[in-house]
Amino acid sequence: MDNTRETLIEIEGLYQIFGPDAKNVLPKVKAGASKEEILAETGHTIGLQDINLSVKRGEIFVIMGLSGSGKSTLIRHFNRLIDPTAGKIKVEGDDIMELPVKELTTFRRHKMAMVFQHFGLMPHRCVLDNVGYGLLIKGEKRAEWKPKAVNWLETVGLGGYEDQYPSQLSGGQQQRVGLARALCTDAEILLMDEAFSALDPLIRSEMQEQLIDLQENLQKTIIFITHDLDEALRLGDRIAVLKDGKLVQVGTPVDIVLKPEDDYVRAFAKDVNRARALTVQTIMTADTSKLEGISAKDVRDIFPADRGHAFVFNNNAYQGVLTKQQLDDMQDDDLLEKVLIKVPTVRRTNLLQDVIPLSLNTRFDLPVVNKQGELKGRVEASKLADVLSP
Amino acid sequence: MYKKSIIASLMALAATSSFAATSCGKVEIADMNWNSASLMANIDKFILTNGYGCDAELIPGDTMPTSTSMAEKGQPDIAPELWTNAVEALINRGVEDGTLSVAGKSLSDGGEEGFWVPKYMVDENPELATISGIKKYAKDFPSSEDPSVSAFYGCPAGWACQITGGNLFKAMNLEEAGFELIDPGSSAGLSGSLSRAYEREESWFGYYWAPTAILGKYDMVKVDFESGVDAEHYKGCISEESCMDPQVTMFPPSPVYTVTTANFKKSNPEAYQYTTQRSLTNDQMNMLLAWMEDNQADGQYAAENFMFTYPEIWSKWVNKDVKAKIDNALDSL
Amino acid sequence: MIDSSWLTEFPDMSRRELLAIRQSLDSAYRTFSRDYGESIENFFDPLLYFLVWFENLLIETPWWLVLAAIVGLVYAATRSWKLCSGVLAAFLAIGYFGMWEDTMRTLSIITVCTILSICIGIPIGILMARSDRAKSIITPMLDIMQTMPAFVYLIPVVMLLGIGRIPGVIAVVIYAIPPVIRLTNLGIRLVNQETLEAATAYGATPTQRLFGVQIPLAMPTIMAGINQTIMMALAMVVVASMIGVKGLGQPVLKSITNQYFTLGLLNGLAIVALAIIFDRVSQSYAKRAQKHLEGTENG
Ligand SMILES: Nc1ncnc2c1ncn2[C@@H]1O[C@H](COP(=O)(O)OP(=O)(O)OP(=O)(O)O)[C@@H](O)[C@H]1O
Ligand SMILES: [Mg+2]
Repeated sequence: MDNTRETLIEIEGLYQIFGPDAKNVLPKVKAGASKEEILAETGHTIGLQDINLSVKRGEIFVIMGLSGSGKSTLIRHFNRLIDPTAGKIKVEGDDIMELPVKELTTFRRHKMAMVFQHFGLMPHRCVLDNVGYGLLIKGEKRAEWKPKAVNWLETVGLGGYEDQYPSQLSGGQQQRVGLARALCTDAEILLMDEAFSALDPLIRSEMQEQLIDLQENLQKTIIFITHDLDEALRLGDRIAVLKDGKLVQVGTPVDIVLKPEDDYVRAFAKDVNRARALTVQTIMTADTSKLEGISAKDVRDIFPADRGHAFVFNNNAYQGVLTKQQLDDMQDDDLLEKVLIKVPTVRRTNLLQDVIPLSLNTRFDLPVVNKQGELKGRVEASKLADVLSP
Repeated sequence: MYKKSIIASLMALAATSSFAATSCGKVEIADMNWNSASLMANIDKFILTNGYGCDAELIPGDTMPTSTSMAEKGQPDIAPELWTNAVEALINRGVEDGTLSVAGKSLSDGGEEGFWVPKYMVDENPELATISGIKKYAKDFPSSEDPSVSAFYGCPAGWACQITGGNLFKAMNLEEAGFELIDPGSSAGLSGSLSRAYEREESWFGYYWAPTAILGKYDMVKVDFESGVDAEHYKGCISEESCMDPQVTMFPPSPVYTVTTANFKKSNPEAYQYTTQRSLTNDQMNMLLAWMEDNQADGQYAAENFMFTYPEIWSKWVNKDVKAKIDNALDSL
Repeated sequence: MIDSSWLTEFPDMSRRELLAIRQSLDSAYRTFSRDYGESIENFFDPLLYFLVWFENLLIETPWWLVLAAIVGLVYAATRSWKLCSGVLAAFLAIGYFGMWEDTMRTLSIITVCTILSICIGIPIGILMARSDRAKSIITPMLDIMQTMPAFVYLIPVVMLLGIGRIPGVIAVVIYAIPPVIRLTNLGIRLVNQETLEAATAYGATPTQRLFGVQIPLAMPTIMAGINQTIMMALAMVVVASMIGVKGLGQPVLKSITNQYFTLGLLNGLAIVALAIIFDRVSQSYAKRAQKHLEGTENG
């Protein structure tokens, strides 16, 4: 992932202590008393302690941890569903703790949308009204938002369910309604609390794929919660690992798998079949430079100087790989298609295990394209090897 | 002095125990569930215990069950305040059969019923003391729910007076005069409406009866129906639900008697003698009841207070010896 | 010798002191009713006019028109012909046995009491649900209202407002309002937290949360409360007639004092019929209004 992106959300020194007298317990927690000690002494539960993190615009930021580690508690701070005992939550530089009620409401309406662990649908509203809920409470007319809501319902594969009530849908379908509701608001930030945990494995990976596809087009900032490392690795640009309310490591999927910082993370990472857990996304080099043309003279000037080979496109369709050697050997009017090497393309979402054989079959990088066939980056064999050998 | 009182009390004690053993013994007195009767019963208990050395006991009662039980089973011995209208046949039969004895009037005036207005209204407009005046100034009695009609507070549903009051209401053509007959639902409702009006010096016109605390507490004037009492018609028609052609008549007083069992009369002639004498006027009883209500007293407390405060009333009921014993008992109370 | 009578007898306050307290409280209440009774009565005047107007409307409109209106309302609320014909039969029987007018009176007062209870009870219930403090204050008051024997407050109410419809309505409402308050509070508190959080997360204002989520979701519980309130109001009809409320209660009272069994039974049955009608209609209306629950029932 490129590090040039600007920071969108920043959390500093966040503490959450559950109990009637949290403010007075805080100093003890800051002094380093453990969760158990605090509970025994004061009856207060530590939800989160000393959380510092920043989320960049456009990334999928995964928060991972075991059950009870405080994931839901943490994500609820992003839109202030709960107020922290101490700490700052900044979005685009503004501390949302300082927002007056009215502005907080506006902020929630426009900036963030949330998908809930247990769906959080309104049982008394039909599916369509649930999807449009975010717009409805902004005061928009039903007729105005209806086409959009229908559209999102179709996108998540629930076309035709408009008039059903949530209770008439399966858990997975309800979760997709929850997703459509979040997407329908056009909010820039998506908060997803175990959005896929209730789904069966098949639908789950289908949804994960769908999310990645959507993300390619929408470029939203997504905070995604999961207790499943495979899912985290698959979706995350960066992953934060939470343990007992403390952040133990924040890093890219490859960092988490290859350089776990403590035993807790190591235990997570140990059992991962990397080839099956990591996707092209995690190792690809984002690079959209490509050659566009049909004859040697079209591409001679734009061939990257520092590279031995490059990907050739024609009318936005991938044609094959051209080496520097070949180009140098060609006359200006020679057609490229005669010499191009047919290296197959891969997608961001492809698992490494599917990519390995392709990579072994060629000495060149594999081009990464999106659904529309546009070039997004490349997979280098060396990186693949790095990741796979422990 | 000291010695004397000891001797007196010793004597009293001796007298008491000898009476108890020989001539009085156990006496059961019916304690009815309304205040005046309860007061009477407690007065009787006090005097019979302390003046006649009886072992007197109060038994809860009510008009119908008590008189039946007295006639059939000879228990209890005394009904101090029995409104005999309701049980006339029963009492007559008991007297004929020799099981009951009517000792005397416990309320010398008898129970009194009538239509009443507050005295402050009559003071202002003396015409309101008569029914023709009331009809003339019907507008002075606006109903609180609908000021366009005048209010006449009748008798609670289900009571005998609902029939008599209703018939008189018809007989006097009160409806044509603009009055509406309001059912207060219960005696509490009726007395509540009266005291609310009286406390605020508002108008009130309705049925009430004596002796009651309300009439002791509030200065009310009994409206003159200008007809006199036609006891015959009252009994034959006014008190019947099917009365076709009711005529105006004042309420005849209801007889209120002290009734005892024949047995009691026979075995306790002296005590029986007392029961024939013991009698109060309605004014006296109203006053006692008002005191009772003001002090929220029960029958026993009220009876003791009566004995202390009104020796001039009760001393007429007993002879000197007994009075001395009672005085003695009061001193030691 | 030390007086140790307190060991055997409760050391209660002396009769005189107790009497003084009772008398001073009573006379304070009398003074209060003398001074403020009038203005309190005036305050209730609009309600009284409405009560009288509504009762007269029911009684003076031709019976078949009233009956048609009632059946029409029942149909509109329940869409069930079966229920409609039951209601029709019940009212025809009531009319045939000569209880039409009393039934209309009772119907009118119950309707007004129910509307009042709902209008007062639901906001109080909402307040209770929103503030634990309010809840801790209101709950014991509700306990008192439900368990205090009615006559204890009937007589003071009569002293204040006289006899008739207004004190009757007040007595009935005091007795019947607790269920709707309690169940509104309960219903709102039981609303799924995540659903409520979802509303908050999408920027719902407190008002939008209340009317868009909490009340609709609490509705089945609230309806159960309203239903209970109606039943309790009907049960109170006889007691209310003891302070001069006209209707089915008076004949019942009369039959109690005189042992007129048939009269009592007929009027009692008319009250039961009203109760059943109110119950079935409000329940089936509630059910119809809760369409979204159908899915849960069969799945
Ligand atoms: N309102 C609360 N009051 C007290 N303790 C709470 C509260 N909410 C959460 N906790 C505690 O905070 C801790 C973290 O809870 P949280 O729901 O955030 O866990 P989680 O990581 O989301 O778990 P899961 O994967 O099961 O959803 C738990 O120990 C929980 O008991
Ligand atoms: Mg959770």
